[in-house]
Amino acid sequence: MIKKGLFLLLLCSYISLMIPLTAFMKERPVAVKLGYFPEAHALKTVAGDHRYLVAQYAVVKVLFYFGTIVEKAKNMIVVKPEYQNMFKTLQTASKLDPWNADVYYFTQAAFTWELNKIQDVNEMLDYGMKHRTWDYQLPYFAGFNAAYFLKDYGTAAAYMKKAAELSKDQLMTSLASRYLYESGQNEIALQFIEFMQQRTMDRKLINLYEFRKKALIAVISIQKGVNAYVRSRGTPPSRIEDIVAAGFIDRIPEDPYGGTFYLDEKGTVRSTSKFAFGTAPIRWSTE
Amino acid sequence: MHALEIVTLSKRYLGKRLKRVDALQDLSLEVRTGEVFGFLGPNGAGKSTTIKTVMGQIKPTAGHASIFGRPATESSSRLRVGYLPENPSFYEFLTGREYLHFVGKTFSLNNSMITEQSEHVLELLELTHAADRPIKGYSKGMVQRLGLAQAMLHDPDLYVLDEPMSGLDPLGRALVKEIIKNLKKQGKTIFFSTHITADIEVVCDRVGIIAKGRLMAVDTVENILQSGVEGYQIQVSRHGHVEELLVAKDRLKEFMAELVTSDAVVERIEPKRKDMEAFFLDIVSKEKHSAQ
Amino acid sequence: MGNFHCFYSLTVKALIRDRLVHIFSLVVATVFLLIPVFSMFSMRQVQELSITLCLSAISFILLIFTILSGASSVWRDVEKRYTASILGLPVSRAEFVLGKFSAIAVLIVASAIIMGFVSCLVITLITLRYPADIPVNWLNLFVAVSADALKYVMLLSIALLFSTMSTSFFLPFFASISVYFAGNASQEVFDYVAGEYGTTIPFLSRMIIKCVYYVIPNFAVFNMKVQAIYALPLTPAPIFYAILYFICYTGIMLCLSVWSFNRRELV
Repeated sequence: MIKKGLFLLLLCSYISLMIPLTAFMKERPVAVKLGYFPEAHALKTVAGDHRYLVAQYAVVKVLFYFGTIVEKAKNMIVVKPEYQNMFKTLQTASKLDPWNADVYYFTQAAFTWELNKIQDVNEMLDYGMKHRTWDYQLPYFAGFNAAYFLKDYGTAAAYMKKAAELSKDQLMTSLASRYLYESGQNEIALQFIEFMQQRTMDRKLINLYEFRKKALIAVISIQKGVNAYVRSRGTPPSRIEDIVAAGFIDRIPEDPYGGTFYLDEKGTVRSTSKFAFGTAPIRWSTE
Repeated sequence: MHALEIVTLSKRYLGKRLKRVDALQDLSLEVRTGEVFGFLGPNGAGKSTTIKTVMGQIKPTAGHASIFGRPATESSSRLRVGYLPENPSFYEFLTGREYLHFVGKTFSLNNSMITEQSEHVLELLELTHAADRPIKGYSKGMVQRLGLAQAMLHDPDLYVLDEPMSGLDPLGRALVKEIIKNLKKQGKTIFFSTHITADIEVVCDRVGIIAKGRLMAVDTVENILQSGVEGYQIQVSRHGHVEELLVAKDRLKEFMAELVTSDAVVERIEPKRKDMEAFFLDIVSKEKHSAQ
Repeated sequence: MGNFHCFYSLTVKALIRDRLVHIFSLVVATVFLLIPVFSMFSMRQVQELSITLCLSAISFILLIFTILSGASSVWRDVEKRYTASILGLPVSRAEFVLGKFSAIAVLIVASAIIMGFVSCLVITLITLRYPADIPVNWLNLFVAVSADALKYVMLLSIALLFSTMSTSFFLPFFASISVYFAGNASQEVFDYVAGEYGTTIPFLSRMIIKCVYYVIPNFAVFNMKVQAIYALPLTPAPIFYAILYFICYTGIMLCLSVWSFNRRELV
């Protein structure tokens, strides 16, 4: 009798505890931390023939972490991401398993736009190309990076030629020729993001691409406005507000990274967010 | 109130392929205070099932058992019981003395009493030399004797012993029989199971015979032995000449009357009888016939 | 409750005299000796890595200890027929189960304390040699190790439940390991299902996942490692919830264990 009573009491307490606990766990202040991943050759020794699994685990870990950062940014929460750890972890993964496509794909996805670590990314891609000799995506990534970010059109063309040879795809061939010119880079970038987006099912990565596309479309629309302004007035506008006032665009689009757009001295569209997470002065949220 | 009372006990197991196995059927018996009750039956007859039910380790399908009036399902019913399970096994990592200490604690004996009693039972069962060795190294006979020692530790009123003689050498058997006789002298009640008829004859007051889960007979050992008398072997000496005569049971009186009138001298009269074993075999074979 | 104490000290003796425990202590010693060496692998955050390694080592060792001792407890006494003689004594089966549980639980807590203490030594040594930007938050470290100990005592109650039902090593061992992994993942899965992604899966599967979430343990409640590693602020709410959760869940598991063992036929 006493036992039954005790059991019922515990059961009731459990049920009544689970209601607030579930709510609490949902809202719990998760400290998003990537933390440190051990050095590659130490891991290689320990992991033995499981090192491919460990490499995959490292990638997934970084992917999850970065996904959370992107989601937080969407909810306007400032987190200073551990980019250094992220990159190191991916590098470790590439050393454990140089054939792992996810490593290169994700490195390209994460470290180009917001972080602008183009040189590092391309070095990693070069390393990957030595192993994934059949993969046209790596030279395609590297070519894009060289052209779009580094404005090094010669190198870009060489990469694109390699990509075109490997893929035998018409698109690559046409891109290889287009990379020789600077104009229309933002449109190429948009196309590139579409390419990346088609190759993932991960919601968090897709989120990230949506961010970038939104930013790019905004930049493209402002740039169009600037071009129209120059064509009609003969002089470049000094501020974006001038283009709006002149009626070339309806309003200044929103920067999904939370910054505000401005024009630099060359008339190029830029944002105070530098299109990166955790840099813009975003309002603090308690969520 | 009896020391042990078993009322219409039945136990049904669900065996392989959901076949029902009746281990016990409507078994009723009582063990009176102060008697030695032997529970005799072939292997697999349900002796251990009965004892385990009495000790609360198995729940009966029907019926109940009580010890000194307390239901066997309560742990406190075992306070006045010394129990020796069949082929006992004890925590191997403990020494014999440590195990006895543990047992004493569960009977709420104080430390000095435990020490005193442990010495006593260890000596009684000739285990003193091994008392401080781990049980791991005990021989089968030593474990059996330790089992008896732990049952005697708290000087209980009722002993429930499942096959107390098994695993013992002849010396050990003699020792255990001696101990049982002494316990009876002290007025203790003993309920023990066995499949060896000779043990029953030597120490028991009453015996219950179980076969295939059914209690076949309960009687005093004396009655059984008496009823088993078929005739008498009489040695008569006549004029220095000794002869053996076999006289039927119903002719004894007549024969003795004749003898008195003659000049013969009776040297020896021995009842010629079926022993416990024959009685037991009789009952078991009867059960077999009835089953067929 | 005198008998409870008997079983408690009996089980403590059993565990201490078990060869497995001796091998185990050797492993523990080796692991903690290796931690300073492995911590050197990080040039950027030696202190953080040493705390991470210490906490992981504690967690892993406690896991093995809990699973092995919990999964091999009750059924083994039944199979070796120790219970035949033990339960012929005037003791209740509840005392037997609870005595066993408390003994193993106390040993889990004791090893957590010892390993926690060794961790403090190791971390102190490392911070002396490689000073970090943020000082170690010892209170957080203490909370993290305590929460871990609670987690494993709770896991023990689950392992014990399985072992009261089993007749061999396999069920309790593999079942408790599965519960451990499920319990570690349950919060993540629940968050995932409750979030945006959940709308894409069928209602019925979502309901099943939610029901499972409420039944299996949620070990994320006890995870306070990150606060210890990076000395992040720790509020009382999660600690409070962890303790309440521990009491309710462990209590229920123990009730079920006693009930299951009471029903068991010791043939």
